[in-house]
Amino acid sequence: MRVLILGGAARLGPYVARALQDEHTLRVTDIQPVETSHEYQRVDIGAPDDVLRAAEGMDAIVNCSVVRPDRQAAFDVNARGCYNMMRAAVTHGIPLVINTGPHFTLEGSTYTAFDYEISPDAPPHPSTNLYALSKGLGQEICKVFTENYDVHVLCFLFFSFRDHDAPEPGGNHPFAITWRDAAQAIRLGLTVDLAALPSRCEVFNILADLPHQKFSSAKNKRILGFTPQDLLEDTWRRR
Amino acid sequence: MNVLITAGASPLAQSLARALSREHEVCLTDTVDATAPSPFVRCALDHDAATDRLVAGRDAIIHLAACGDDSVGGADSVGGAGDVGRAGDAGAADDEVSANRLIDAQTRRTYNLLLAASEAGVGRCVYAGSLNIYANCPDEWAIDEQWRPRPSTDAPVLAQHLGEFVCREFAREGRIAVTCLRLGNLRQPDAAACPAADPAGLAEADAVHAFACALAAPAEPWGVYHIQSPLPDARFSTAKAREELGYAPRPGATGGAT
Repeated sequence: MRVLILGGAARLGPYVARALQDEHTLRVTDIQPVETSHEYQRVDIGAPDDVLRAAEGMDAIVNCSVVRPDRQAAFDVNARGCYNMMRAAVTHGIPLVINTGPHFTLEGSTYTAFDYEISPDAPPHPSTNLYALSKGLGQEICKVFTENYDVHVLCFLFFSFRDHDAPEPGGNHPFAITWRDAAQAIRLGLTVDLAALPSRCEVFNILADLPHQKFSSAKNKRILGFTPQDLLEDTWRRR
Repeated sequence: MNVLITAGASPLAQSLARALSREHEVCLTDTVDATAPSPFVRCALDHDAATDRLVAGRDAIIHLAACGDDSVGGADSVGGAGDVGRAGDAGAADDEVSANRLIDAQTRRTYNLLLAASEAGVGRCVYAGSLNIYANCPDEWAIDEQWRPRPSTDAPVLAQHLGEFVCREFAREGRIAVTCLRLGNLRQPDAAACPAADPAGLAEADAVHAFACALAAPAEPWGVYHIQSPLPDARFSTAKAREELGYAPRPGATGGAT
């Protein structure tokens, strides 16, 4: 497939490019320069024309773009960027979008402060945290497009990323995964049978097989066939 | 009460100001200059001290959001009404720029306003949502506030859905009480043209009455109410607003809605 990566310079972007490059033709984009052997376009995801041009000729879009602290930029990228991405997908007839974000895109403090086995299929409670709410708005835009057009969105939620070859003791986090496993989940997402999905908008908690059970990742194996290889035992096993 | 009304250049905001001024201290604000019947402050609702100053000392905010902002489509977007039939397909670049501005107004600016308001201790906000979030639903559905919204991707409709989304998160956290009035298709009292019968029509006088009722009602953390005029074939039930807010629209005051 021809795959557009938005936010290719973000931290997850290079891992995704490496995971996809043997099976797909990539167009890597970002507002920042990206060192890549693949086709590169400078794209401001907040600019409709940039995104429309970048999506031309693509079969799928992977959105890794993210802005956290700046209020104007956070809404421009995390919320409006999704509108521009989905409009471009519809315009060019691109059937699959993988959108990424932190777990509190949907599972904010009103869940995490109280609950366990938090399901990715619960109604969105992003909270008023800037990063969470702007990402939550972006995901809501994606969902609305899937309810109006024949386009599918897989929303991959992440939180704490780890290096598989640089164990980091401590940081006993209930929503963690290695970069390489995260990228593999996206690779599998591009192979999913769209007709077999429960809906055109599906959300996944992408985390390692952690024993905490704070968050549920049960649907990952069932729908994506995803089994993370890194257990991150150094973070949760007593010494 | 000291009441701030956004989208102050819009006809609805100005009618609200005239009506509410009898009982309240009213200030209008907009991102563009306007001639107004009440004190007026131009403010972009950015993340800055100007927004902080705007909300300081207010008891309540009536947030009409993008209404009246000529950079986001002008007063035609008042209350989010009137654009239901517009094509949602991707169009010219200008349309997409306009769509981006509408979404920005309903998301970022609403966030800035509500965050500043909550930090300033403003107790409540009455938000102007839209019944157009159900425009794609079959006519035979008896839709009330328990029904999940099904907005189209038409920018004015989607943007108002997102504005409501932002408000809900502030209410959920208890930062500010929010009453969301989902308005029918607003008709001005002097509407020259009387379009085909609109079963979701809302006379301006009824809209003004609904906002006055919402301000007078006890401030609950979050409440959603469907507001339209009492038409013979009314598309939406206003029973909840009647029961909980005391909404009592005048029969026959439908302006150009019928």
